[in-house]
Amino acid sequence: MERAEGRKANQLRKYSCTRNPLGRAHGSARWEQGGTAVVAAVYGPRPGTRKGENPEKASIEVVWKPMTGQSGRQEKEYEMTLKRTLQSICLLTVHPNTTTSVILQVMSDDGSLLPCAINASCAALAFAGIPLKHLAVAIGCGVLENGDVILDTSKAEEKQLKSFAHLVFPNSSKSVDLKESQQKDGQSERGLITSITHGVMSEEDYFNCIERGLAASSRISDFMRTTLQKHTPDYL
Amino acid sequence: MMDQRWRPTVNEREFIEHALQSDLRIDGRRPFDFRKLKIAFGREDGSAEVELGETRVMGYVTAQLVQPYKDRPNEGTLAIFTEFSPMADPAFEPGRPGEAAIELGRVIDRGLRESRAVDMESLCVVAGKHVWSVRVDLHILDNGGNLIDAANIAALAALCTFRRPECTVGGDDGQQVTVHDPEVRDPLPLAIHHLPIAVTFAYFGDGNIMVLDPTYKEEAVMGGRMTATINSNGDVCSIQKAGGEGVTSSVIMQCLRIASVKAADITSKIKSNVDEYTTEKAVRKVKRTPVLVAKKNDVPDITMESNDGALESQTSKTPNDAQDTSKGDDDYRIKRISPLTGDRTVKPKQTSMFLGGPSNWDPYSKGVSLSSLRISQLPDPPAKPNDKRHEDAKSRLSESNLDVESMPNSGIAGESDEAKESVSPKSLKDAVKPKHKRKKKQHGKS
Repeated sequence: MERAEGRKANQLRKYSCTRNPLGRAHGSARWEQGGTAVVAAVYGPRPGTRKGENPEKASIEVVWKPMTGQSGRQEKEYEMTLKRTLQSICLLTVHPNTTTSVILQVMSDDGSLLPCAINASCAALAFAGIPLKHLAVAIGCGVLENGDVILDTSKAEEKQLKSFAHLVFPNSSKSVDLKESQQKDGQSERGLITSITHGVMSEEDYFNCIERGLAASSRISDFMRTTLQKHTPDYL
Repeated sequence: MMDQRWRPTVNEREFIEHALQSDLRIDGRRPFDFRKLKIAFGREDGSAEVELGETRVMGYVTAQLVQPYKDRPNEGTLAIFTEFSPMADPAFEPGRPGEAAIELGRVIDRGLRESRAVDMESLCVVAGKHVWSVRVDLHILDNGGNLIDAANIAALAALCTFRRPECTVGGDDGQQVTVHDPEVRDPLPLAIHHLPIAVTFAYFGDGNIMVLDPTYKEEAVMGGRMTATINSNGDVCSIQKAGGEGVTSSVIMQCLRIASVKAADITSKIKSNVDEYTTEKAVRKVKRTPVLVAKKNDVPDITMESNDGALESQTSKTPNDAQDTSKGDDDYRIKRISPLTGDRTVKPKQTSMFLGGPSNWDPYSKGVSLSSLRISQLPDPPAKPNDKRHEDAKSRLSESNLDVESMPNSGIAGESDEAKESVSPKSLKDAVKPKHKRKKKQHGKS
């Protein structure tokens, strides 16, 4: 299948991350992947938890704002997915009985919206200084008719494909540069945090997606690492 | 949850007020200076992001066909939806809009609707049955103060760049409306007569000190505020002064005079930004054929084995170093701070390799045959049934029992009987307006 702009199956669109574009939020990030752009803002930790939340841990609250229209079920599903994903990467016991709010605004949507949002939220949490266990790196994979896997699906591709998956992995522990990372054991330790699939795919296709997604996510996680390190003060 | 509003300390309040008595503001501006205004446009038509100092607002315009109101059967409708997103300010709570959000929406709405800035009658398709309903969504991203002015500019910029699909009325009874796909027929802009600009003043002291474009700190300390919506002709479209300190009429007249000067300023800024964006988009559209042109440098292949690549040039921007953006900006890039002229020079070299490049593009030449510019050069279009479903679903949402037939993407996948004139997809035809064909025929006849 020919992808737009001559993209190959393994090629990601151009992605970029802007650090703290917003002035009032405690931490914010604008993540763009090709034509998809999401702005995430983080406020927290703020005192008190909502009713029903465990006061012995910090709680995460997610608000998803679509480009137009009322927030409906799709937005609620995104909020829930994000909340569970972010809860698994945050160190919740550091600030018990607090609430950290993550608010997302969709600026433009050209496919792989959920992965873009997860990457933006993770970056925003890091910029806000919320203690994290590790980063969450998300990627969207699509399955073609012949079983091939394409990465970073665009909106047109998502409409055409019979199935696609959004996968979230923890960041890789070592840089891709180092030769040590060629060993397979380093990779097998990285489990899958979140996986949302659309459509029907065979088991083999799904495992292919995971493998490809894992490889791609190391690139994105290296990029995240350089982004976060770039402004780390010298005394740290 | 505690009320998270920013409250000034006693010292801050006194400092702001004392400084104003000497015409000094805490961010160094003079009393009647606007903050720096930046307007950026998104990928889609009708999406604009405005930065007024620290305040950021995004406007997004959409439209759909609906039944008109009974008392105005030949006018379209315009609706403004404002969302004070909790990301803008710790005080904003998610959920139903508070009174500030509603006031903002109403002021912008009054400025646009009652001054007839947007022509409503041109939005009528079939009187009494089908009209276009334009919806403007304003998302407040960052509350740095003076949301009304920033949101107003965002709404205007988005309305100026919005394009609605062209539709024709036909059928046996003259009631059937066909909405054309934007790829097949160029979508049309809205008819905007003038741009009403909102200018907000804040009052301090006994109503004798006033400043323009207050920041959020000044807003927390001010005694009252007034918003005047004026266009560049000097017409006052609306004035909003809801309570607060009383001010003398001479002060109000002075404010209006200042506001009209500022309005002219801002109008020219909006217009120049919109023109820049429209010309850039038109230029991009003409060059939109290069599928086979490999993207330069960009993201290298990600294969599972190769670990030799150094970290590639993915951008990691901060607001300060805008020059950090790597040169490989592709066509989908939002027009940002740095102009893309650096990349423009590269493209003509590539496009001249095949027909359709601007260097040998001549709409009047007889030699260009449509079949030679065909589908093999273009990317796989979305399949017909999907588009049809999508279009049908959209139209079903807007009407209940009216038969609106939406024209599917007939041009793209191949020949079709209905649309002989708009056969080839995404090619020169789209860039050339249909009326040029008349000239072509005459040229051929003579």
